[in-house]
Amino acid sequence: MLALVVNRLLWGLPVLWLVATLTFALMRAVPGGPFDREKPLPPEIKANVEAKYHLDLPVAQQYLRYLGQLMRGDLGPSYKYLDRDVRAIIAESLPVSAQLGGLAFLVAVVVGLSAGIAAALRPGTWLDRAALVSATIGFALPSFILAVLLILLLAHAWHWLPPALWEGPRHAVLPALALGLGPAAYIARLARTSVLDVSRQEFVRVGRAKGLPPRTVLFAYLLKSGLMPVVTILGPLLAVLITGSFVVEYLFSIPGMGRFFITAVTNRDYPLIMGVTLVYAVVIVVANLAVDLLYGWLDPRIRAQ
Amino acid sequence: MDWTLATDSVSITVIENLMDGLTEFDDRLQPRPAIAARWDVSSDGTTYLFQLREDVYWTDGRRVTAGDFEYAWKRLLDPATAAEYAYFLYDIVNAQAYNTGRITDAGLVGVRALDDRTLRVELNKPIVYFPSITTFVVTFPLRRDLVERYGARWTDPANLVTNGPFTLADWRHEYKVVLRANGAYWQGRPALDEVRMYVVNDRSTALSLYETGGLDLVQLPPEAIPSHESDPQFSRVPMLRGYYYGFDVTAPPFDDPRVRRAFARAIDKAELPKILRGGELPTDSWIPPGMFAHNPAIGLRYDPASARALLAAAGYPDGRDFPAVTAMYDTSPVNTLVAENLQAQWKRTLGVTVELENLEWKVYLKRLSSNPPRLFRLGWGADYPDPDNFMALFTGYSGNNHTRWRHAGYDGLIAQAASTADPARRRRLYDETQRILTEEEVPIIPLFFVSQNYLVNPLVRGVRLNAMELLQLKTVSIQP
Repeated sequence: MLALVVNRLLWGLPVLWLVATLTFALMRAVPGGPFDREKPLPPEIKANVEAKYHLDLPVAQQYLRYLGQLMRGDLGPSYKYLDRDVRAIIAESLPVSAQLGGLAFLVAVVVGLSAGIAAALRPGTWLDRAALVSATIGFALPSFILAVLLILLLAHAWHWLPPALWEGPRHAVLPALALGLGPAAYIARLARTSVLDVSRQEFVRVGRAKGLPPRTVLFAYLLKSGLMPVVTILGPLLAVLITGSFVVEYLFSIPGMGRFFITAVTNRDYPLIMGVTLVYAVVIVVANLAVDLLYGWLDPRIRAQ
Repeated sequence: MDWTLATDSVSITVIENLMDGLTEFDDRLQPRPAIAARWDVSSDGTTYLFQLREDVYWTDGRRVTAGDFEYAWKRLLDPATAAEYAYFLYDIVNAQAYNTGRITDAGLVGVRALDDRTLRVELNKPIVYFPSITTFVVTFPLRRDLVERYGARWTDPANLVTNGPFTLADWRHEYKVVLRANGAYWQGRPALDEVRMYVVNDRSTALSLYETGGLDLVQLPPEAIPSHESDPQFSRVPMLRGYYYGFDVTAPPFDDPRVRRAFARAIDKAELPKILRGGELPTDSWIPPGMFAHNPAIGLRYDPASARALLAAAGYPDGRDFPAVTAMYDTSPVNTLVAENLQAQWKRTLGVTVELENLEWKVYLKRLSSNPPRLFRLGWGADYPDPDNFMALFTGYSGNNHTRWRHAGYDGLIAQAASTADPARRRRLYDETQRILTEEEVPIIPLFFVSQNYLVNPLVRGVRLNAMELLQLKTVSIQP
């Protein structure tokens, strides 16, 4: 078990190196630089600025410098938020995104699984149809439309919740719903199909025929096997949710990391682009590892391998 | 928060309320004394002696001295600081040489604290608007002892020492700033105990917060302006910010001034505020209203007949044989509306077809500086409210002039105007240069000046929004 974890984490290193290299190459290939302004800097000022950030070196040398920095755990200074370094920016914004993402993940899993399982247990009834219709709508609505609808209803019309900002638990409800309901719909559909599939399989029928209590059949047979496909998507989903969503953070004015995926690129803030990309890659590697461990727990055959 | 490095309007607004400089703007955007009680200018106009007040203190109790200014200005000019606004002080003797590394001795730069109360500034040439420059945050004083003690962390709320109406109580980057009244402020304690400022990037979100009581002052998104215009809480402030289209005057067909004049005459600019609906002020001249030497009588009026005649004289009657040209702009809803409207007007009046192409902002900037399109859009906002800032933009030596237009006569008159103290003479010089720019040579077509549109809670009194996009909170109070 420990060997597996260590092995997978070691494999993560070349993945990170590849991500860093590709990102470095891509961002340098895009025209326009971090210090191009509506009011262009006089050449002598631009020279000072570029010297300060070593942008006057050949690109290959900048790349090697950057890799060296990374090895020491230094993500460099931001080019946009002057006098701040990328590590500090991420240290401040990632926890906010992670809190919001964690809540949204909870919404997705709890709402999605309950709806999906309830529908699968009573196929063809009104409950099933209602779950299916809501899931389709939830799946089709982009998060920003959902966010606007939630703000209009719960903040403007009924005054139950604040429409934006990040000042306490009440402020987290709307963005968590906006972010979590879409994935909840997806999970619901996936869970319904797969639980329904499993319930028709022989071992479940045998279990029922042997007179096992319905609760045992449900938890030990149906869910344990039926939720495998859901578990597959949970890793990437968690990674996406806790690293922040640009749209939801922007609409609710939440100081998380998600907005940097877009603004760092539009600002050509190279170190920040690299920083958020690497954080995202690390989270993906770890989340996928967690999913694999969860697989092993759910399915002894995988553990044996 | 480091005012030597500040460039964006959010930081500048916060710093303006934390700090005072030598001078500040009055309601008419004229510089008036702040920490400098007065200043004397030598007879040749090149030496300024600023006399500082004795009753201005930092929040840790130390008095603000001339040395704090000398240190701040030299730090701004130090090439290692790499401050983007260092060129603001290039008119000071040896400032540019020091900033570009041609000299390394900061002692040669023409700014010196003669004693705690007297700051002497020597300029390369007479600059009549120099006291306007000292209103800008990058020239505000700094505490050498604290910058050296805390390094990059000197701006953390726990370390930051300021001298203005408010102190920094809390700061969450890119999200929230909390200001608290400075009881020892030399102009008197502000009426507000605490001000919370949020960085809300989406203006619709900000409006939601205002409407649900979470904010007392908000900038309106363009789409919300028509429905709030008649609201008593609505307020509109014209900005010193112009919007123009420029030509590459070196490439055909726009190397012919008649073609440029035809394009200018063919635009009915009154159509623009109707489609943009943000309180835009159409203009034919370039110096904005509210600035010295603004003269709306200058510039080419909308005149379809003369536009067609000019184009015919240039060899393209009714737009026949007019080469394919592309107008470029950076991607945004406003820019798209403007570009499409101009395209339609040029087609309607001149019979010419202009293709449109939009580029992402940074890609667009790169394109402008490396290979300017024949026809492009840009804007310009005042750094300081003097016509020099708007007019020097199109000199041959300006890095911001993407039109490739070079006019020695124009450049000479602009330099002359910058050092002319007599207002009447100065106004005549700007009239003359405006005529060259917008009537004769026409490397640009000025289109409109923009406005900011706000909602302000009626209980909040004394909010003064000015044309420089500055928001001074020291005069604001809340009706009990």
